[in-house]
Amino acid sequence: MNHQTRVYENVFEMMPDEDNPTPLVRVNRLNPNADFPLYAKLEWMNPFGSVKDRAAWFLLRDLEERGELSDGRGLVEPTSGNTGISLAGMARARGHHMLAIVPNKVPFEKKVLLKIAGADLDIVSDELCPAPGLGDGSINLAKTYAKAQGHKYVMPNQYENPKNVEAHLKTTGPEIWKQTGGRVTHLFTSLGTCGTVTGIGQYLREKNPKIKIIAVQPTEGHDVPGLRNVSQLSVSRLFDPSLVDEILEIDFNHAYTRALELCQNEGLMAGPSSGLILEGALQIAARDKSGFGVMIFPDNIFKYTSNMIKHIPELKPQDAKVEIP
Amino acid sequence: MTQYAHPEILVDTDWVKQNLGKPGIKLVEVDVDTKAYDAGHIRGSVGFNWQSQLQDQVRRDIISKQEFEKLMSDAGVSPSDTVILYGDNNNWFASYAFWLFKMYGHKDVRLMNGGRVKWLNESDKELTTEPTKITPTQYRASDPDLSLRALLPEVLKVQAEKRHNLVDVRSPDEYSGKVIAPPGMTETAQRGGHIPGAKSIPWSTAANADGTFKSADELRKIYLEDKGVDAKKDTIAYCRIGERSSHTWVVLKYLLGLSNVKNYDGSWTEYGSIVGAPIEK
Repeated sequence: MNHQTRVYENVFEMMPDEDNPTPLVRVNRLNPNADFPLYAKLEWMNPFGSVKDRAAWFLLRDLEERGELSDGRGLVEPTSGNTGISLAGMARARGHHMLAIVPNKVPFEKKVLLKIAGADLDIVSDELCPAPGLGDGSINLAKTYAKAQGHKYVMPNQYENPKNVEAHLKTTGPEIWKQTGGRVTHLFTSLGTCGTVTGIGQYLREKNPKIKIIAVQPTEGHDVPGLRNVSQLSVSRLFDPSLVDEILEIDFNHAYTRALELCQNEGLMAGPSSGLILEGALQIAARDKSGFGVMIFPDNIFKYTSNMIKHIPELKPQDAKVEIP
Repeated sequence: MTQYAHPEILVDTDWVKQNLGKPGIKLVEVDVDTKAYDAGHIRGSVGFNWQSQLQDQVRRDIISKQEFEKLMSDAGVSPSDTVILYGDNNNWFASYAFWLFKMYGHKDVRLMNGGRVKWLNESDKELTTEPTKITPTQYRASDPDLSLRALLPEVLKVQAEKRHNLVDVRSPDEYSGKVIAPPGMTETAQRGGHIPGAKSIPWSTAANADGTFKSADELRKIYLEDKGVDAKKDTIAYCRIGERSSHTWVVLKYLLGLSNVKNYDGSWTEYGSIVGAPIEK
C-alpha cells in the first residue's frame, strides 16, 4: 500500500483515513464571499462511490471480527441505495452474500447498481400511508429476515449501530481537522442515518467546542434520495441533538437546481444531496459573514439522472421518446 | 380510566406468545401481500394475501361466502376456533379481515394489538419460516351481515340526508383533494376531495407510536369530544379502498361501542369516480 504512488494490493487499502483523505475542494464561482470560503468534501471519491463507504466498511469489519459472517451467513440491510451499494460491493469482494431491502421510491439507477454490486433485491412500498412514529416497511422487513432466518442473515442496521458513528469519528472528523489545519468553523452535512453528523460532530467539538455543526434537511414531502426530514428521523437511533447547533430546512427543489449549478459552474459533478447542502451553506455564509465552511458532499450526480429530469424537465434530451423510469 | 366497550376483541403480544399452539386458537397473518409472512411469521400462523385472497379476483367486491368458506377450510379454521389476526401496516389489512370475519359470522375473532411490528420489535418473540401444518376443515359461514357494510346507494342517501356521522380516515391531503391518493398508489379516483359533511379523522389518530390502539379515554376524547362524532347517530367510515377505514371501524364499533357503524369499502375510489356525486374540497 502506497498512498504516494496510489498502488494498492486490494481495493480495501484505498479506504479513507487521515493519511488518505477524500479531497477537499473549494467552491469558487458560486460562493464569491472571500471571508467565508466553502470547501466541499468529495465523498464520491471513495472506492465504492459515496460517503456510505465509511459506515459500510466499519459495519462489515465489525461483523467479520465478531465472527458473525461465517457458514454462509450473509447480510440483510434496509437501504435507500448507497449503503447497499457499498455493503454489497465490499461483502461480495470478501465472499459474503447480501440482501438489500429497498424502498420503491429509490431511483431506478440505484436499484440496478445494487444488483450490479452483487446484492439480491427485495423492493417494498414504504408509502402506503404516512404513519407517524412507525418504522419504515423496509427496516421492518429486514428485521424480519434477520429474526426469522438468523442462520442466513445478519443485519448490520446502519440506523442503530454505533459503528456507523465510529466510522466518522475515526476517519471523516480527523481528516477534516487535518485538511483544514484546524481552521474549520462551520460543518455542513445532511441527515440520513445521522452517523455522519454525530461522528464528525463528536470529533470536531472535542477539538474546538466553538465549531458550528449545521444539519441541512429537505422540506417535508421531498424525494431527495438518502435524506430524511426531521419528521422522518425517528427511525434513527444515532441522532444526537446536542451535537447539532442548527437544523436548516431547505426547499428540496434547491437540491436539484444547486446540483446542476455545481456541475455547470464549478466542475463538481455533485448530486442532489450535495446541492441541498450547498444551498444551506450559502445561506449561513451570507448570514454569519465570515468563517471557514466544510460541506460533506455525499455523492456525485451519475446515479440521479432520472430524478434530475423529473425536477428540471429541460434536461430531458429532445429526442427522448420514452418515459425514463 | 374506562375500558374499551369490547376489550375481548384485542389480545396483546404476550397473550399470543403464551397461547401459541394451543388447540382451538388459530393465528392468521394478513398482509397487503405475503412478502413479510414469507420472510418470517409467528409459529403456527397461516398467511393471507389481502390483494389476492380477501377480494374477488374478477369484480370489485369482497370474496363470496363460498370463497370465504374455502379460504377458512384450506387454512384449517373451524367456526368454533378463536382466530387471532395480525398483520403489517399497523393491522390495516388484519382489521379488514376482522371486518370480513364478522361479516361472515365468525363468532370469536380478535386482533393482536400492535400487529406484526410490535411482535417483531420485542426481543422475546420469535419468527420462523417454517411452514405451518394445516388440517383442512369443512367450514360453513353465515350469510354476509350487511349491517356492517355500507354500499354506494346508502352512502349517497346518507350524504343527502346529513343525519349520519361520516368519518373520512384518509390523510389530510387526500381529504382536502390536494392529492387523490398517496404517492405511488395505483388505485385512484377521477376526482379529489371528500364526501360533503364528512369529518377528517385520519386512521393514525387512533394509534400509539408502537402501533397499539390508544386507550378508551383517549379515543373517546379524540372521536367524540374533539372531532364531534355523535354517539347517538349511525356512522359510516371510509378511506380510499376500505382497509384503513376497517381500522377505524374497529375503533368506533368495538373500542368505543357505537351502536351502528358501517365500513364503506367502496370508499373514495368508488365515490370519487361517480358522475354527478356531490364532492366537497
